[in-house]
Order: sequence, then structure tokens, then C-alpha cells
Amino acid sequence: MIKSFAYVRPTSVDDALEMLGADGARVHAGGTDLMGCLRDGVFEAERVVSLRDVPGMRGVRASTQGVTIGALTPLAEIARHSVIGEQYTALARAASVVGTPQLRSQGTLGGNICQRPRCPYFRAGFDCRRKGGRICYAVGGDNHGHAIFGGVRCHMVHPSDTAAALTALDATVVAVGRAGERRIPIGDFFVAPSVDPTRETVLEHGEMVKEIVLPPAADDQRSSYHKEGHRRTWDFALAGAATALRMTGGNVAEARVVFSGVAPVPWRSMAAEEALQGNTLTPEVIGRACDAAVEGAAPMRHNAYKVGLLKGVLEKEMLRYV
Amino acid sequence: MIRDAEGRYWEEGQEVFETPQAAPDPKPWSETRVVGTRRMRVDAYERVSGTAEYPSDLLLPGMLYGAVLRSPHPHARVLSVDATAAEALPGVRAVISGFTPLNAALRPHEQLIRETLFGPVRRFEGEAIAAVAADTPYHAHDALRALKVEYEVRPFVSDERDALAEGAPLVHEEGNRVGDASTYARGDVAAGFAEADVVLEEEYRTECQIHVPMETHGCVASWDGDTLTVWESTQGVFPVQAGVARGLGMPLSRVRVIGKYMGGGFGSKLSMGDYTLMAALLAKVSARPVKLFITREETLLSAGNRPPSNTRIKAGVKRDGTLTALDLSATGTGGAYRAGGTGGLDFLVRELYRCSNVRTETQDIYVNAGPARAMRAPGYPQAAWALEQMMDALAEAIEMDPVALRLKNISLVSQVRGRPYTTTGLEACIRDGAEAFGWEAAKARAEATRDAPVRRGVGVAAAMWGAGGGGPPATVILKLFSDGSLNLNLGASDIGTGTKTIMAMVVAEELWVDPDTIQIEHADTGTTQYATASGGSKTVPTESPAVRAAALDLKKQVLEIAAAQLGVDVATLALREGKVVTTSGPSQEVPLARLNDLRRRGVVVGVGYRGPNPEGKMVNPFAAHFCEVEVDTRTGRVELVRFLAAQDSGRVMNRTTYDNQVHGGVTMGVGFGMTEKRVLDRGQTGRLVGHGWTDYRIPTAMDVPTSLEVLPIDLGDREANSTGAKGLGEPATIATAPAIANAVHHALGVRITATPITPAAVLEALAAQRQESTR
Ligand SMILES: Cc1cc2nc3c(=O)[nH]c(=O)nc-3n(C[C@H](O)[C@H](O)[C@H](O)COP(=O)(O)OP(=O)(O)OC[C@H]3O[C@@H](n4cnc5c(N)ncnc54)[C@H](O)[C@@H]3O)c2cc1C
Repeated sequence: MIKSFAYVRPTSVDDALEMLGADGARVHAGGTDLMGCLRDGVFEAERVVSLRDVPGMRGVRASTQGVTIGALTPLAEIARHSVIGEQYTALARAASVVGTPQLRSQGTLGGNICQRPRCPYFRAGFDCRRKGGRICYAVGGDNHGHAIFGGVRCHMVHPSDTAAALTALDATVVAVGRAGERRIPIGDFFVAPSVDPTRETVLEHGEMVKEIVLPPAADDQRSSYHKEGHRRTWDFALAGAATALRMTGGNVAEARVVFSGVAPVPWRSMAAEEALQGNTLTPEVIGRACDAAVEGAAPMRHNAYKVGLLKGVLEKEMLRYV
Repeated sequence: MIRDAEGRYWEEGQEVFETPQAAPDPKPWSETRVVGTRRMRVDAYERVSGTAEYPSDLLLPGMLYGAVLRSPHPHARVLSVDATAAEALPGVRAVISGFTPLNAALRPHEQLIRETLFGPVRRFEGEAIAAVAADTPYHAHDALRALKVEYEVRPFVSDERDALAEGAPLVHEEGNRVGDASTYARGDVAAGFAEADVVLEEEYRTECQIHVPMETHGCVASWDGDTLTVWESTQGVFPVQAGVARGLGMPLSRVRVIGKYMGGGFGSKLSMGDYTLMAALLAKVSARPVKLFITREETLLSAGNRPPSNTRIKAGVKRDGTLTALDLSATGTGGAYRAGGTGGLDFLVRELYRCSNVRTETQDIYVNAGPARAMRAPGYPQAAWALEQMMDALAEAIEMDPVALRLKNISLVSQVRGRPYTTTGLEACIRDGAEAFGWEAAKARAEATRDAPVRRGVGVAAAMWGAGGGGPPATVILKLFSDGSLNLNLGASDIGTGTKTIMAMVVAEELWVDPDTIQIEHADTGTTQYATASGGSKTVPTESPAVRAAALDLKKQVLEIAAAQLGVDVATLALREGKVVTTSGPSQEVPLARLNDLRRRGVVVGVGYRGPNPEGKMVNPFAAHFCEVEVDTRTGRVELVRFLAAQDSGRVMNRTTYDNQVHGGVTMGVGFGMTEKRVLDRGQTGRLVGHGWTDYRIPTAMDVPTSLEVLPIDLGDREANSTGAKGLGEPATIATAPAIANAVHHALGVRITATPITPAAVLEALAAQRQESTR
């Protein structure tokens, strides 16, 4: 049962920011993650600020400058948007494999990149490091779902599918706060636990994501996203790969490789990118990229399989480009 | 008393009380008009339209909402519960715990409250500490938060594999063994192994599976003076009535339990829960009706489970496929209390295949975790997981086809009980199943994928179920109203399996009436006759013969009335489409509604009892499951391409609900084998990790086999009972997981001996295989 809270629905960005400034205020977009967090006591809210009636925060706008997606745009809309499907396939695919149809209709893109971790210790009543406690329970406990990269102090994996795709597509997050607007390159948006294990984004209290901007897609750019979970649906990534490649005459001119499900932030693999860049996608090149991708992986007691899984996922994704 | 005790009905046959025999049982029908067809559920409209009222839907005037405070520690002594602040909150009407003062209404139940419901030592996370009733669920949960509890936290052990180690914390003072090991032996295993050409030994593990019914556990309790009415989500209103009466020290006549609809139990609702008594007590002290349904999290912690198992099997076989010896030793845990943690775990090894030399030893162990409750074929899926993988390994070792090896070892008698089965469908299930599945072709297809990244495999596993024959008692009343419509009155619960529909079909078969004209009154201790809980896959074989007997009793009276009215010999009369007609002599007929004597009396009542099972015989269902998988060696993903379930459950009563049961059984087996696992924080906090359906994964529609074929094997059992039906719900889930495991082994050449077969498990097994081959 959720503790009681005030529920407000501002009708302008300014009002929303005003209301979000108060202590204990929380953004409510689709609520699919927020309500679960409140019910499970992950955190509390004194005031829930619904963005539903804030004008201009929903929808996809395409121009020569790229594509701007309002933070409140439902994932289902992104998944079936033709421009996104054609030019930013990775994002459309990522949006289309989030949770279940109900969650995609209700959940928004802004909420998806701002959702809280799914580590079962964090979600249940464990006073873990991400909640300000002293230990990460995954270290001595069940860590089959946890990080093989970047696990420092906290070993959760970032739960968002779209975050990996947005990183591969080099998106920019536009945040607004009472101090004004800032444009945050997606690579700077997520906070690694080595920096601060208690937060996942650089957003300050009272700040919110207004929209997400994708740069114009080059004509020869192709992208993709695939994740593997325990189940065929309704599951977070055990390992996933967002890739964006520019190909000229069978050669990889430029590559972006970003993994989901294996690190506390969307995990960009420069090593894999290097292995691909300037090469033709032969089985040997793909194999080298897969090996490079898992270099430096530091599996825990129960998640060594993720090393192989990640390679498998990347290999299968690369074969799509051949 | 309130724990699910060992409830051994699934093994020994429930304790039976003979009911009067109205007439000797007739032979099963040789031809049927209604029984065996596909028929939509009689309550389908109610269920899908939302008009069916489940206990959790019930709203009574003035009703309060109950909630339970549960221990956050796997093991603790409760030093005090301070309810002052909680009681002072608005809308809070009652608080009970082992420490709060008891008012006059509760004083007679002091021992129950202080020692049983809220005893001082709590041995698992989620064991109850206090309960409250308030105006709304929100008020109730606010009250829980306001309760102040002092604990003395104690050391715990959460895994049975750690619990027998020296120095392990004790769950109970007398030690962590639940009594001595249970043993069984026949023949001479040492001699059997000496005789064998191949002896294999392997260890298997199955993880704890939780029932997770859609409707959580609970009830609404309401007092009228000294009479208590309980609407409970249950598989059996009479066991709940007995439990409540015993718990509260009341006569049965003052406890009425109603349970017409219920949203799933799978064995976890065979008897009352602690929540039932708490609701009754809260209702008593607040003098208001109380609804107490536990939350999803509470069901994961405290409402039962299929216990984990650790099984070692050693098996001997001759080159010709003859089994020479089977030796099993297994451990399991029913949690913090005696709850049958190893119940049924060795039965298949003793019974399924012909083998003269068998030895088994099972040890139940206490741990600080929620107690087990019977779950769909308790013990059997765990046992099949081990035995059926071992059979496959033996087949491989002697280079024999796994289907052929199983067919070589069929027994026509129950080896454990020394009596023949009425019918033994094991052979037909395996043989006909293999043929319908296209076993040979699928096997060849799979062989062709050996070097591909995505490989195919086929697997088979067989099963029998140690209960499923049903038996007395059952008393059924059938009333014919003056207009020819009927009321069928039976005590059994329809737990979603289609019981009501099948019983209406039996009446329709016998009386030649439209099943839709039959009103069904059931599962109410106040208005229906005693019935055992719907569990053990025995409801159809138990109740349907009694229903048939009631119909025959009614028919006899109706025909006598008609014979007098028409002035003909009763032997010349029969029922046809709502009329009594002559079958010989001059043609005459009279509609039921025109029977003068019926119209004068207003009702004719037929009574039927369940007769005894055949002397000296066993009545058991059998099954064989076949599975074709596709395994991606890069991602470890296992796709269930094709599945076939051959089931010998005697007569098919309703093909629609028959298929439904098998689909449900296989789905649950897929969950057991591939997705479900209760994770306790072993060695760290001992607490449940993952509190909902995102972490406790049940299979979705996309995880079950794309093609799932049901093949009924009906050998025409003329002895089992007067309808020829045997149980189906449980035997449909036993062989599923090992069939998948065997198929995965066939595809990859690696054996996954522990559930669940996740992508991680497949990848780990493949990595180990690679390491092995490079060494
Ligand atoms: C059963 C289940 C399965 C799921 N499966 C997946 C999955 O497979 N993959 C996946 O990626 N996700 C999954 N999710 C997570 C998530 O709920 C959804 O993906 C969804 O996109 C979240 O969006 P929302 O609008 O509902 O967010 P909300 O619940 O409204 O918000 C989520 C969080 O972000 C904050 N927030 C929301 N919008 C903004 C904003 N504009 N600015 C600043 N902060 C904001 C909120 O305060 C809150 O803390 C799942 C969730 C559930 C319950």
C-alpha cells in the first residue's frame, strides 16, 4: 500500500518546475515505474507531479536538424513511428521490446531513461548502497542478473532498453529546471556508481527531461537493437546490444556499439567499435569485435554466462548488417 | 493444527468414510451422447463477463479490511508488540497480536492467538506477528506501519544444503532433521547393480516453485450471533469448515463456509490458512465483517510452495534395456515447519518402471523459510526431473532409443502396492504418443543440425500419478423441479478445472436433458453435502460417479411416476429429450413437466453416493510428454517448437476442459523447468530476493510451446468407477520439465541437471562442455 501523497497536474512547464521544486516532489510521466517504486517503498513521494497536461511535451518532430522526441511520448508511438523506424531503427526496436504492450502504451521515453534500477535487492526492502546503505548485496548474494562491467560500489545493471539505443544514436537530452534549459549529451546523462552510487542521472532535484534530440541520420547509417531476457517478453535485458553503423561499399566507416543489461550505465564498447571500423564484416572481423567487446569484463559469482551471451548477441546483430 | 500437515492423500489415498450405498454401481457407459464432447463451461459467461463473484470481490455492508504484519526476519523472537499508536489511528477497528490485550470476545482464543497464530518465535520471513482491521485497506496498512515491534534477531539457515552442516543454526531446538529419513526397499540393489551392464549415477536439483494463483489467498468472515460465515478462496469448503471449527472451538454447525468461485489454488488452498482464523477473530472483536486477502508479496513468502529437491539416483541397466536396480537418496525442505518437504519425492522411482531392486531414502529438513503446501502433483515433477533424465542417460549409455528403453520397462502392476492397475496407459501413452509426435522423423531432423549454431533436439518423459482414482465419500443430491428443470447439489469446489460443467454433462447424459437447464449449487457447507477438497486430481473420478448415481436414482423414481400415470410397465420406459417415452409396446410419451405426481409434490429428489474403488486394484493415471526444441548456442535460448502430451486419464469427460487442463499442466511444467525459481538470500540475509512477478517469473503466452497437441489415451476402464474417468490435472504437469531437459540434451549433448533451464544455464553448460573437450 502506498503512503498518501498529494497529486498535482500542472498545465505549463513553468508551473511544473515550480511544483517540482518542493521537497519530496516526484515526476509522474506514465507512472509505470514510479507507482511500483512507491508501492514497494523504494522511495517515498510527498507530491506527485503529473506531466500529462503540460503542453508540448509529447510527440515526435522531424526536421533537417534531426528528430526531437518529447519526453512524454509513449514508447508504443516511438516503436511504430515511420521516420524513427527507418532512420533510427535501433530506437524503434528498443522501444518495441520494452516490457509488454500495456507498458509500452503507458510508459514514456523520458520515464524510460529516468527509471530506477531493477536490482531485486534495491527494489525490495534491502538498505543497499544505492539507497545510501553500506553494502551492495549483490556482491555476496544472488548476482546472476548483475553487471560484468563498471560494477563499482553498486553492481546493478541499467534497466533501460532505449538508453542503449539513444547512446548508440548519439542523442542529446534536453533538461529544464528553474535555472533554465541545458543540453546534455547522452553520454554524460547517466551517472556511473564510481561517481555516485545513489543516483542514475545528472538531473538535479526539480529538473526534468523535456525532450530528446537525435542528430540527423546519415544516408548510409543503419542501426539495430536486440536484447535477450529470461523470457521472450516481459523481461529486462540480461544482455542487449544497440549498434549503429555507417557502411561505405561493404566497409564499416563508423561504428557505435552500446550494451544494455551488463553495466550500471549504457555500456559503450570502444574496443568493439575499433575492431569493426574500417573493416568488412567478415566472420573473423565480427569474431574479433565480439572478443574485444568482452575484454575487461569482470563477472561475479553467478553471471559469467553474460560474457558469452553478450558475444552471442553482438554476433547475431552484426550478421544483420552483412 | 493450522499448518498444512503432511496431508498424505496423494500417496495413500485419503482417509475414507463409507457413505451408504444406494445401489450397486452401474458399468460405465459404452456409448455417450454428451459426455466426451467439447462443451463450453456452464459458467463461461459469468467468468468472462465479470458477473461471477469471487470471494475477493465480495462487499458486505459495514465490511472492514484486514491486513497482516509479518516478520521481516527469517528467524527472530518477538519481544513485544506495541499497538498503542496503531489503535489510535482513525479508521482502525481491531488489532490482534501475541502481545496486545485481549477483550472479552477474544479471551477464549487466547492460546490460539498468543501461541499459534502469533507465537513468540517466528521461524520464517513472512510469518505473522499481528493483524489489524480497518475501514479501508489504506487505513489497515497505515496501522501496520504504526505497530512497534521489538525483535531479538536469531541466526538462521535458509538453504537445506547448509542446514545439516555442523554448527548450522537450528530452526527448532530438536535439530534441523524433520524426523528420521524415510526409507523404502525391495529386492537387493547390490545384486541388481552387479547384474547390470551399465551403472550410472547422477545428482539432480529442482528449485522451489511458488503457486502464484491469480486470486491471492484470503476470505471474508462475518458473524451472525454465534454463527460464523466465511467466504473463502478455497479448493474445499469442508476442510476449511473443519479447520475453523477446530481452531475456534466451535461446532461444525456454527461454521458455514462458502467458496463458489475461486481464482486458482494448485494445492495451496486445500485447507484454511492462518488468514482465515485471523479474519474470523478480527470480525469477532470488531463486530463487523472483515475481508482479509493477503498481498502478492505475502503469497510468495507465506502461502506455500513446491519445495526444492536434491536427488541422487544410481541406476543399473542391462544392454537389452532391462532395469536392474534403482537407488535414490534425496533431501528436500518443507520450510520452517513439518510440511512434507520430501513428500512424493521417491514415488516414481519405486513405481513408474518395472524394476525388482529398489532402494530409496528421503530426508526432510527444516530451514527458515515459508512452509511448503501441496502443489500440483506434490513431489512428482521433482522426481520425474531426476528419474526421466536418468532414463535418458541410460538409453544413451546402452545406445538404445529412449522411447524403446521406456517401453521395455512397463509394469502392469503397482509395484509399491502389489496390485494390478485397472488400466495401465503407460505403454500406450509412450507408443502412441511417439507415433503421433513423429518421434523418429523429428529425431532424424535434429541430427541434421549438429554443427549449426541453432540446434534441434527431441525429448520424451513419462509419468504416472499415485492418486487420481478418487474414492468415497461423496454425496450428491439432484432435484427435479415440476417444470422439468433440475438442481444439482454437490459439495465439491470447481477450482477452475470445469467440475461443474462435467457434472452437468453427466446428468444430461443420464437423463437426456439439456445441460443448460441444470442449476448447480455447490461448495457451500450450509447447503451442500460433505465433499473432500478438490485436489489430488480426484474430483472428477470422485464426484462424477456420485452424480451419475444421483441421476439414476432420480430417473428410477421419475420412470415409476410415469409408469403409474401411463399404466405401463416401468421396464418399457426411458427418458428422451425432456420426456418419458415408451421403448416397446404402443408408443406413448409424457413430458417431465406433465408428470402429475411431480407437479403435486413439486420436487423429486435423487441421491447418489460414491461407491468404493475396485477391490485389489489400483486406479492411476499415466502420461508421456514429447518435446522438440530449438536451442541457439550463441544466446542459450531454448525455443519450444513442438509439444505433445499423451495422457491416460481414462474417459475424456469434456474434451474442451480436458485440453485446458493439459495446456495448464504443460505451462506450469514449462515454468517449473525453465523460468521459475524462488531466490532466498542464502548466507547473507536469508530473505526473499525479488518480491513480484517481474523477478519471480512465470511463463508468458510467448514462452509456452507454439504447437501443443493433446492426445487422450482412453483404454476404456470398466473397473475404476462408474464413469471410467481418472484424474488429469496433476498428471498433466509431471513429465513436462524432464521432456524439455531431455530435448535440450539431445540438441546439445549436455545435460542440465538443475532447474530452471535458463539461457544462463544453457550457456554455462556449453562453456563447461567446451572446456571438457579442450582438456
Ligand atoms: C513489469 C515491468 C516491466 C518493464 N520492462 C521494461 C523493459 O523491458 N525495458 C525497459 O526499458 N523498461 C521496462 N520497464 C520500466 C519502465 O516502467 C518503462 O520502460 C517506462 O518507459 C517508464 O516510463 P513511465 O513514463 O511510465 O515512467 P514513470 O514511472 O512515470 O517515471 C519513471 C521515473 O522517471 C522519472 N521521470 C519520468 N519522466 C521524467 C522526466 N520527463 N523528467 C525527469 N524525470 C522523469 C519519474 O519521477 C520516475 O522516477 C518495465 C516496468 C515494469 C513495471
